[in-house]
Formats: sequence, C-alpha cells, structure tokens
Amino acid sequence: MIELDHITKRFEGQRQVTALADVSLVIPRGEMVSIIGPSGSGKSTLLNLVGGLDRPTSGQVRIDGATLGGLSDDELTRVRRDKIGFIFQFFNLLPTLSCLENVGLPLHLRGWPRRNVDARARELLTLVQLTDRMEHLPEELSGGERQRVAIARALSVYPPIILADEPTGNLDTQTGSDILALIRDLHARLGSTVVIVTHDMSVSQSCSRTIVLRDGRVVEDVRRSK
Amino acid sequence: MILLRLISWPYFRKHVLRTMLTTAGIVLGVAVFVAMRTANQSVLFAFSRTVDRIAGKTELQVTAGETGFDEDILEIVQAASSVRVAVPVIEAVVDTNIKGEGSLLILGVDMTGDRSLREYDLESGEEAVIDDPLVFLAQPDSIILTKEFAEKNRFAVGSRLPLGTVEGEKRFTVRGIMKSSGLTSAFGGNLAIMDIYAAQKTFGRGRKFDRIDLAVKPGHTIAESEQELRTLVGPGFQVDPPSGRGQQFEAMLGAYSMMVSISSLFALFIGMFIIYNSFAIAVTERRSEVGILRALGATRRQIRWLFLGESAVTGLIGSLGGLVFGVLVARAVAASIGGLITDVYGVAQHAGEVTASFALLAGALAIGVATSIVAALIPAQNAARVDPVRALQKGKYQVLSAGESRARMLAAAILAAVSIVCLTVGGSRVVFYAGYLLAVVVSLLLSPLLSLGFARMIRPLLKWARPVEGALAADSLIQAPRRTSASVAALMLSLAMVVAFAGMARASYTSIIDWMNTALNPDLFVLPSQNIVTRSMWFPPAMATELAAIPGVARVQMVRDVRIVFRRTPVMVIAIETSSVQQTTRRTPVEGDADEMYRATAAGQGLMVSDNLAQLQHLRLGEVIEVPAPLGVIRLPIVGIVIDYSDQQGTILMDRSLFERYWHDDSVNVFRLYLKSGAQVPDVKQRVLERYAGQRQVFVLTNGELKGYILRITDQWFSLTSVQIAVAVLVAILGIVNTLTVSITDRRRELGVLRVAGGLHGQIRRTIWLEALSIGAIGLVLGFALGAINLYYILQIVHRDIAGMRLEYEFPVSVVVALVPTILGAAFLAAIWPAESAVHGSLVEALEYE
Repeated sequence: MIELDHITKRFEGQRQVTALADVSLVIPRGEMVSIIGPSGSGKSTLLNLVGGLDRPTSGQVRIDGATLGGLSDDELTRVRRDKIGFIFQFFNLLPTLSCLENVGLPLHLRGWPRRNVDARARELLTLVQLTDRMEHLPEELSGGERQRVAIARALSVYPPIILADEPTGNLDTQTGSDILALIRDLHARLGSTVVIVTHDMSVSQSCSRTIVLRDGRVVEDVRRSK
Repeated sequence: MILLRLISWPYFRKHVLRTMLTTAGIVLGVAVFVAMRTANQSVLFAFSRTVDRIAGKTELQVTAGETGFDEDILEIVQAASSVRVAVPVIEAVVDTNIKGEGSLLILGVDMTGDRSLREYDLESGEEAVIDDPLVFLAQPDSIILTKEFAEKNRFAVGSRLPLGTVEGEKRFTVRGIMKSSGLTSAFGGNLAIMDIYAAQKTFGRGRKFDRIDLAVKPGHTIAESEQELRTLVGPGFQVDPPSGRGQQFEAMLGAYSMMVSISSLFALFIGMFIIYNSFAIAVTERRSEVGILRALGATRRQIRWLFLGESAVTGLIGSLGGLVFGVLVARAVAASIGGLITDVYGVAQHAGEVTASFALLAGALAIGVATSIVAALIPAQNAARVDPVRALQKGKYQVLSAGESRARMLAAAILAAVSIVCLTVGGSRVVFYAGYLLAVVVSLLLSPLLSLGFARMIRPLLKWARPVEGALAADSLIQAPRRTSASVAALMLSLAMVVAFAGMARASYTSIIDWMNTALNPDLFVLPSQNIVTRSMWFPPAMATELAAIPGVARVQMVRDVRIVFRRTPVMVIAIETSSVQQTTRRTPVEGDADEMYRATAAGQGLMVSDNLAQLQHLRLGEVIEVPAPLGVIRLPIVGIVIDYSDQQGTILMDRSLFERYWHDDSVNVFRLYLKSGAQVPDVKQRVLERYAGQRQVFVLTNGELKGYILRITDQWFSLTSVQIAVAVLVAILGIVNTLTVSITDRRRELGVLRVAGGLHGQIRRTIWLEALSIGAIGLVLGFALGAINLYYILQIVHRDIAGMRLEYEFPVSVVVALVPTILGAAFLAAIWPAESAVHGSLVEALEYE
C-alpha cells in the first residue's frame, strides 16, 4: 500500500516553486491508478516522491507501512530494489548492454548468482514477448521493443509496485496501445500496484482509478468499476 | 572577445573544477620547467658569480687544469710586455667542521700585489695585517674571514678556527674581518683569505700555484695579452678571462644540463596533453552550442578563434601560476642540484640565492601560452569544422569513426616504416633523432585505437569480476575513446619516459658495478679528503713507503687524478703505476690488445682512453692525440680503449712517470692498498689511521665503503628519475580526474538509471573506480610498451651524445613492478572525488530530459 500524508514539495531557487501542496493519498495494494494533469501540475514530482527518487519538503510517504522519510540514500535504494519497478517515457536502457544484460541489471545489483540472473532475465523477456531479441543492443530495437525491455527490467524481482512515467509518451498510437495492454496484462497476472503518470486519456481511462492534479493539488479522484 | 565573454566565461564558470584541472596541467608543466631551469641556472650563476667576485679586477687568468704549476711561471707572466700586474692564487675548499656551515672557500693570495686586483677593507683587526704582508707572513696561522661568516658563527679577531688540512685538523687565528663587499659575498660569504705560502703548506701544494690572476697594461687589449701569454707559457696552459671558468663548469655539467632539459621539456609536453584532452572533450561536449553559434551566423574562423582564445587565456593563467610555483620550488631543487654537483663533480657549490632571470620567466610564460595554444589547435580546428545541422542532432561524438581509425592506422604504418628505416640507416644525428620522433608520433597515433582494443579485451574480465560495475566501466571506455585516449596518451608518454630513465639508470648501475669490480679491487683506499671527488688536497709520494711498511700491507699503488682541458672539454687524466696495476687490475680493453696496451702505457709510449671519451671525442685506437701539460704537449697514440667511469666527460690513463715528467708533479690523490693474505681489513685500516693520527688528514675507505660511496653518488645522479615518477603520478591523477569528471557528466543518466535500478552507493563508486583503474591499466601497458622502445633510443642518445657510455639494454623490471601499484593507486586516488560526486548528484535531475 502507498500512503502520502500531507505531502508538500517546494523547489528553492531564485523563485520558489510549490510542485505539490499538502497532498494526501492512499493507493491500496493491487490497484492500477493513473495520475493526470496539465504540465507543471506535479504529476512527475509525485511519482518521484513515491519512488523515493526525491524527498518531500514536508509530510510523509509510506510504502507498505514503512516511512521513507529519514532513510539514507542506500536505505531508499534498498526499498526501490525490493518493492518498486520503474518504467520511463524514454526507456532509460543502458545503450552498451544487451537486452538480457539490461533486464538482469537490477538482479546483479542485488547480488543474485549469475545463473539465476540469466534464467530470470530470459523468463522476463519471454513474458514481454522478446524471445528473439535477447542478445540485441537497445539501438537495434524499435521504440516499442525498447519499452518492453524496460518493462521487463522493472519487473525483474516482480516488485509489488510499478511506477510508470508516461510509458506510452514516446511511442506511436498502435505501439502505445500494445504497451498499455501489456502493462494491464501483467498487472492482472502479477497483481502489482501500478501507478501511471500520463497525458493520454485512453491510458487514464483504462485504469481503475484516476487522480487529477492541478497546481500541485489533487482536484479529482475518480474510481471506476471494471 | 565578446564571444569569449558571452560563450566561454559561462562555460568555465559552470565547469570550475575542470577548468582548474586544465589549468593545473599548464601550471605543472611550466612549474617543473621553471623550477628545473631556474635551479640549474642559479647553480651555474652562483659559480660564475663566485668566480667573478673572486676575480675582482682580474682580466685574464693563467691555469693548467687542476694540477697547478711551478712558481717560475709567475715570473714569465709578470715579465710579459702586456701585463700590468700578475699575482698567484691558490684556491681550496675545506670542510669547516661547523654544523650547518658546510665548506669554506680559502683563497691563498700574495698580499704584496693582490690588492691591485682585489679589495680587502677590514671591518676589524689590525690594518697592518693587510698593509704589511710581512706581518701576515710572519704568522702563517693567520686567516681573514668575511663579516658575514664571522657574524654567523660568532668569530671575532683572535678567535681560533679549526680547519681540515693535509696535516690534519689545524687551528687558524682570525687576524681580520673584511667589510661586506663584492668579494666577501662570493661563495655565499663562506670565504677566507690566507697567505699564499701558508696555503701552499696547508694544502700540500709544494712550490706550486693553482692560478695566476692578471690585469692588462694600459695600451694593450685583452686579446693581445691573451695571445702574448699563450705564446710565452705554451699549449699546456689555459689563458682565459675569468668567465672562461664558468664556461668550463658549464661544459662539465653538460650531461646533467641535458638531463634537466629533457625532464623540463617532458613536463611541458605532458602539460600540453592535459590541455589537449580538456579541449578535445570541451569541443565534443559543446558541439550543440557551436552548432547554434554557426546557425546564428558565426564563421568557422570565429569558432576557431573562440577555442584558441580560451586556450590562450588558460595558458596565460596556468603559466603565471607555474612561474610562481616554479620559483618557489626552485630553491629546494637548487640545493639538491648544488649538493649533487659537489658530490659528482667535486666542485663545491653555494647556491644560496635562487635568481630567476627575466628572460627565463618571459620565455617560460611564452612557452606555456604557446604550448596551450598548440594543444588546442586540433580541437579548435574540429570545432570550426562542425556542421550546424549535425551538431544540433543528438548523437555520439566521442566515438572514432571507422574512416578515422583506418586513416590513423595507415599514417602510423607509414611513419613506423620510415622510423625503422631511419634506425637502420643510422649514421646522421638528424636521421636518428627524426626516427625517434617518428616512433613517438606513431605511438600517439595508435594510442586511441590501442586504448579501444585494450578496453574491449578487458571487458570480459571486468564483467566477470563485477557483472554490472565492471561491464559499465569498460563500456564507458569503449563508448568514448576520445574522452579516454588523451589521458591514456599522457600517461603512456609519462611512463615511457620513466621506464627509459629507469632502464638507463639500471644499465648504468650494472655497467658501473662491473667497472668497479674490475678496476677498483684494492682492499683499502687512502684519501686526503672525505669526498672522493674533491681534489683540493694531495699527499706527498713519500707516504707510499710509509704505508708499505704498515704490517699487513702487501702492495701500495699511487694514483694521481686531475681534470684538464682536452679539446676544449674538461676531462680527467689518471696517472697510474702501470706495471703494478697490470698485475692487480687487468682490464680487458674494448679495443686493443691487453698486453700491448699495458706494455706501451708502462713504457710511456702510449695512452689508454676511456670508452666514453673515445665515443664523445670520436677517437680511434692507434690515433695520436695531443694532451696539453704544463711542461709541453704529450703526443702519443691510443694503445687501448677501456671501460672507465671515473669522469662523465671521459678519462685519459697514463703512466705515472709520464705524468710526473710533463706536470712536474709527484703528488698523490689516492693510495690503493692490497693486503697480505690473512691480514684483516679493519685491523689494517685502524693501523693506517693510527699511523697518521695528529700528523696528516687521512681517510681510509674499505673496498665496500668506496663502492658504496660511488653507488650513492650514482643514486644522486639518477634522483631525477624520482622527480619524473612524481610527475608521472601527477599526470596520472590530473588526466584521470579530468577524464572521469567528464565521464560522469556524460554518464549522468546512466548512473541515475543504475541507482534507480537498485545500485547502492558502493556499487556506483565501484564502477567509477574500475573505470579509473582501467585507464591506469591501459596507460601502464601502453607506457611500458613505448618505454621499451624509448629505452632503446635513450641508451643510444647516452652513447652518442651525452656520456658516451655503452650500456646494455635491460628492461627495468623492478621499476615496472613498482609502477603498477603506484599508478593504479594514483588512478584510484584520482577516482575518489569523481565517484563521490557521482553518488551524491540529484537522481531526478540525472533522469530528466531537456
């Protein structure tokens, strides 16, 4: 379960910007949530706070009851390692590593034995239907294929939470639909909590819940029954 | 100028650390250049200044090498029609036995005439000492000190000063203290005046003078007088202005000065690579900025000048810093060079003041700026060639295109072939050096390709060791060979120089040890001075009989060595008892027949010369050479060429009888003692010391002690190698920090992804460390490979142009083994800060897209 308790995030600079203002949310385990809103509404900031990539100015973020505030960088990394998978708009694959190596990366970082890493990476690439692309480098893949590799990497330890930042934003309509179908399929099969930041209304409508942000505040929170 | 302010200045401000590192490259280069040159110049200047100040109004000096000459030469000189006044001089450097004072230069003069050439104004003491030379003569223990020396050591008139003499330690009475003047500041103020006849006795000169100082009669020119005197005294004498001594000193230090020059130029060359690296990186990083400028109407010329302007400013700031730093360091270096010169050449030094000449500083500034501009030429040209459309597209610019790689390979192959041809053709010096230069150029051309190849080779190993961190570290090098190659090249050059110098040092040691084992085989050596190269004091030959009578002594050999001027170069003449030496120390000549060599030398029908002299002066076996001596010119054939390292400029070995005849000198510098079988070395040593206790200053060294002493001097000579290792380590650190700083900026997103994917701080750090260690390792491999080639060339240069030494090629394995942890340690050190900055950056910013 993800809990945001009176979260405020300000960016200090020549001009102070409040990205999130006193946001409180609860996302129960297994829910598929989309977060929408105009540019600068605080969507990505919210996702970064949930993923422990950034720290709130005030308030608390809790993942499965554990507060992220006060954790060291390495402790936050351990939380991400064990509980969170990230999917980015621009894939963020390492260009020098093959698909198999990219997917195996988080597992190596966890210190898994090489044989197990290889087996799990192959299993995940099969899951995202990239059996014939395992040894390819990212630059040899299409955009959709790259996002599939990124999804496989996010799923490497079958984390309970998947955070996706505009996962279809850099893809054409058809490929975007395929990727969304894949995420929905994996969500159904694996039961992870999925939080998707998006501009795309079709993506939003395919989720069971949509949270609308504007000027750093939650202005709407819609649940749909599927 | 406006572009510099609008474009360059914000870039520098944004990359403060990198700008500082780039500037540090030039600071390092210029500082080493200035420090080495200033120190060397200061030592030479201190010597010349001492000569000048002691010379006073002297216009010409008559000398005959170090041996001195009979008193009757003075009458000949004084009788010359062009000479106004001529006075005899004895110069000796003695140990003061005062802690921290070092040595004292004693000037033995004849007060009767000397005041026409030098001022002796007394601060205290009886003027009569000066005014009436008889007073001085009547009291042979009299000495006059400078005010500086007296005040420093609290001496007053009447104080007793102990000094080491040939007759052991003697106490001299201070009869006067000179007022500060030009003369008193000679030799750093450590100067004393003594009566010439007292000096003859004190320093065992017999009835000889070291030198005659003279002034020319009005109406005659110095050149006329020089000509007249040369005719009168003959070819065995040198008649030169006082500055001639400075020139001889410089000639003697030729090999050392060349080493210093090579080291300082090398430091500048390395600085150039650091600048090149920084600008090459800056150009690739700023491609889009250049593209925008080009799109807005900037011409190629403006872009080129923008980067050259940046490099000129960097060079100027770095050079100014280098000047300051270099002058500060020069003092310590000068002290070390001064000590080295005293120990190696036996010429006492007192380079207390370090004076950097304006010309040197201006030259260093100009060289620093020029080096910086030259280093930026290629990157500036690349920037000017940037196509605006391509520059605005995202892409990789750090890669080497296949076409470029092919062009490099082709150029390297052609130049390597030319270099090999130069080497095989040999002969001409120009062809040889051109071949050497081409070999270095080939290595520089190949270094990016080789770096890439090695990075690819070590990837599996790194990946095997650390699947993520290792693979990413290797990939970082593979993806950006441009970023890495200049650092690797700088490290390679630096290490190649260290390997070559270390190899030369090692070969020299081996060769010197071989020579010592053959030529220096007596059990004991009896010397008049603690320093074996100082030849201020000599023994009388009568001591040979006394030493032979000491129980346990089987054989005594007398050796006299003096430095003379041969073919305008200071070389060593060693007079030996050939027949005796032939029985104890049979050397195999490099050229000539051993039996005939010893026979002809013993008979006074021939001369032996050292291999290095033969090489440097292009002498051949059988060639008749002319050796100038006070009593005529020796014209004899070379009957043997032998290995001898008594002097860097070369040695002429002759029989003692021949020497006595031509120099009228039977004194001895060293007694070589062979012991009877069963006699204990320490016992006999003790007996010799006891025999002369209180009568004569005698130092006795065992065979092991003498060899140890020579090796210590050799160590000092090669201490430059340690300076180079220090520079190599600095280069490694600077280059790697620079490369890693850029690498981290380039890989910011990659490192961010690694952290998001679960990479802990330790894992991120490790990937940076491994990258640094890989750069270090590749630099080591390439440096050792180029070092192996460089060593060959350096040995050839030593043989042909520096010391004439024939050295065996021997790769310095022990130094190489020591360099591996040193450079890897330096690489690791260099990676600490970049690694910390990599783990502490903002994750959100790292993952952001524009």
